[in-house]
Amino acid sequence: MGNETWVVADLTIDGKVRKVTLEAISEARKKLQGTLCGVLLGSGVSALAPELGRYGAEKVYVVDSEILGDYSSEGYSTALSELIKKHSPDIVLAGNTSQGQDYFPRTAARVGAGLALDAIDLGLSDSGRLTVKRYMYSGKSIATVEFLDNSPAMATVRPNAFKPEEDPKTPEVLSESVDIPADCIWTKVVEVKRKESTRPELTEADRIVSGGRGMASSENFPLIFELADTIGAAAGASRAAVDAGFVPYEMQVGQTGKVVSPSIYIAIGISGSVQHFAGMGSSKVIVAINKDPDAPIFSKCDYGIVGDLFKVVPVLTKEFKNLLAQG
Amino acid sequence: MKTYVIVRQTPDTEAKIKVNGDGRSINSESIKWIVNPYDEFAIEEAIRIKENHGGEVILITMGPARNLAALRTGLAMGADSAIHIKDESFASADPYAIAKVIAQEIKNPGDYDLILTGKKMIDEETGQVGIHVAEDLGIPQGAVVTKLDISDDRKSVRVQKEIEGGQVIVDLPLPALLTCERGLNEPRYASLPGIMKAKKKPVKVIETGDIDFSSIGLSAEQLGEGGSRYAVTKLEVPEIKRRLHMIEGMEVSDAVKELVTALREEAKVI
Ligand SMILES: Cc1cc2nc3c(=O)[nH]c(=O)nc-3n(C[C@H](O)[C@H](O)[C@H](O)COP(=O)(O)OP(=O)(O)OC[C@H]3O[C@@H](n4cnc5c(N)ncnc54)[C@H](O)[C@@H]3O)c2cc1C
Repeated sequence: MGNETWVVADLTIDGKVRKVTLEAISEARKKLQGTLCGVLLGSGVSALAPELGRYGAEKVYVVDSEILGDYSSEGYSTALSELIKKHSPDIVLAGNTSQGQDYFPRTAARVGAGLALDAIDLGLSDSGRLTVKRYMYSGKSIATVEFLDNSPAMATVRPNAFKPEEDPKTPEVLSESVDIPADCIWTKVVEVKRKESTRPELTEADRIVSGGRGMASSENFPLIFELADTIGAAAGASRAAVDAGFVPYEMQVGQTGKVVSPSIYIAIGISGSVQHFAGMGSSKVIVAINKDPDAPIFSKCDYGIVGDLFKVVPVLTKEFKNLLAQG
Repeated sequence: MKTYVIVRQTPDTEAKIKVNGDGRSINSESIKWIVNPYDEFAIEEAIRIKENHGGEVILITMGPARNLAALRTGLAMGADSAIHIKDESFASADPYAIAKVIAQEIKNPGDYDLILTGKKMIDEETGQVGIHVAEDLGIPQGAVVTKLDISDDRKSVRVQKEIEGGQVIVDLPLPALLTCERGLNEPRYASLPGIMKAKKKPVKVIETGDIDFSSIGLSAEQLGEGGSRYAVTKLEVPEIKRRLHMIEGMEVSDAVKELVTALREEAKVI
């Protein structure tokens, strides 16, 4: 065993390091042992090494290759599995992002590693193996998973589960050349469409405002957007609101939508179904606005206003504006 | 187009989760089982592809006897046949072993064009088996797909995936494995004639004894809990204490003031 813990960086469409990577590095530094290493895969990514160092990476492995310029599961899993075979790290982590969920399982299959997805806690067992906590059964239970054999333990971590904290290091940067034959890349990228939104990404957002069937129509959703923008929140929705066509599916929170864990989740005109809670039940503070005093959400929220959302929300937006203007 | 769909059963989403005395497994006695919702999108999509391009849809599952119900549901929706790899101990195997056995079943005839499955199981909340199968078969994968179009020459598939901050559209050569996300389609309900017909559709049952473990590089033990690379050592039903601070029976402006003050001073989140 190389006695190293790796965090493979997740990058945004614009090639920046995602917050979840810094969260994973910070948590690994606090909870795990061994040399903490960052891994950068991509094209022209070497320049990002110091940022991983700023959060505590002592070493950064870089595979800088044009062939990794466009993300592909084949390219990333080939690069990462070659690195793992060469250096035998004990633990390999990444964010539970769309990419992490794609190439981590493939890499685990190739190197024969165990993989736990969407960890919300990291630790070590008595025998020094990785343990993680993760949700099971639609957020209704938390499992402690312990890795048993000596193959590398792999895990993806849930965005927002950990705090990014700086611990500046000047990392040793190791440039690795991995042979990725062009014909092993099957994926042909046709188009990358950016969402034109100034709001934060739902899964990474620290604040979320969501609307449900109670919004009654898509014309009313600007009420949600204005409140969200006032407090710098992402905008979400229940499945009923999505199914009714008020907003697109990408906004859906819940069992069959996005899983989020912001510090504040404001649910507006949402009844609080089990399936909705599967997606947002781990939020730190839950606020509900609903006209029905018997709505199930009121039995599992922190603050509840009983009232008509069309009257309450505009006043709430105004009140937040006043508050934030005062600083 | 010959499409395999990997399906499994999960507890009904409303199911109450009770932890067994061992503290690490759930009590499944009173649980109602359903087809994993994401696998339903996969079944529906496979049937639509058959309707547009011809061919056949084969369901494949691995797990205990009750999984037959999931296969019957898929057959009633319109799949043609099913394969049930049956063993009660499979439940605790890790994706690595499960995938090897499933891949072997698909590899044997070998003449497939597409494999579909759900993006994840809603009980274990992982979606690894499909991707492991793709690796075992050495074919391309597309994970978490919201739209797919088979090319006219049926040699490739155009796939749309949601990513953070946007969408990507990629082309993959066939055969490929795709994991399905909600938004891909609206699964149909099985019709009464469909349910009647499903009873006569062939279900091939494979028992552990029928599996040639050495040829797939596994031992029989690896299929059980002992062969898993990790174990669930504890299962808890979390008790998140909520404040349950209700604000009612006052003017809207007062209610909002109370909320905002509490968020700032008590919860300290704004
Ligand atoms: C397999 C499966 C998966 C599912 N996945 C998801 C998922 O991922 N996400 C999800 O959200 N759901 C999911 N669901 C659906 C879920 O069961 C509920 O149907 C859904 O969450 C209800 O959405 P809602 O709360 O917006 O609507 P409703 O339950 O209809 O609630 C609307 C609420 O708005 C309130 N209201 C109405 N008008 C006003 C007003 N003027 N002012 C204030 N309040 C008002 C009402 O009192 C009511 O409480 C799933 C279901 C199944 C079976």
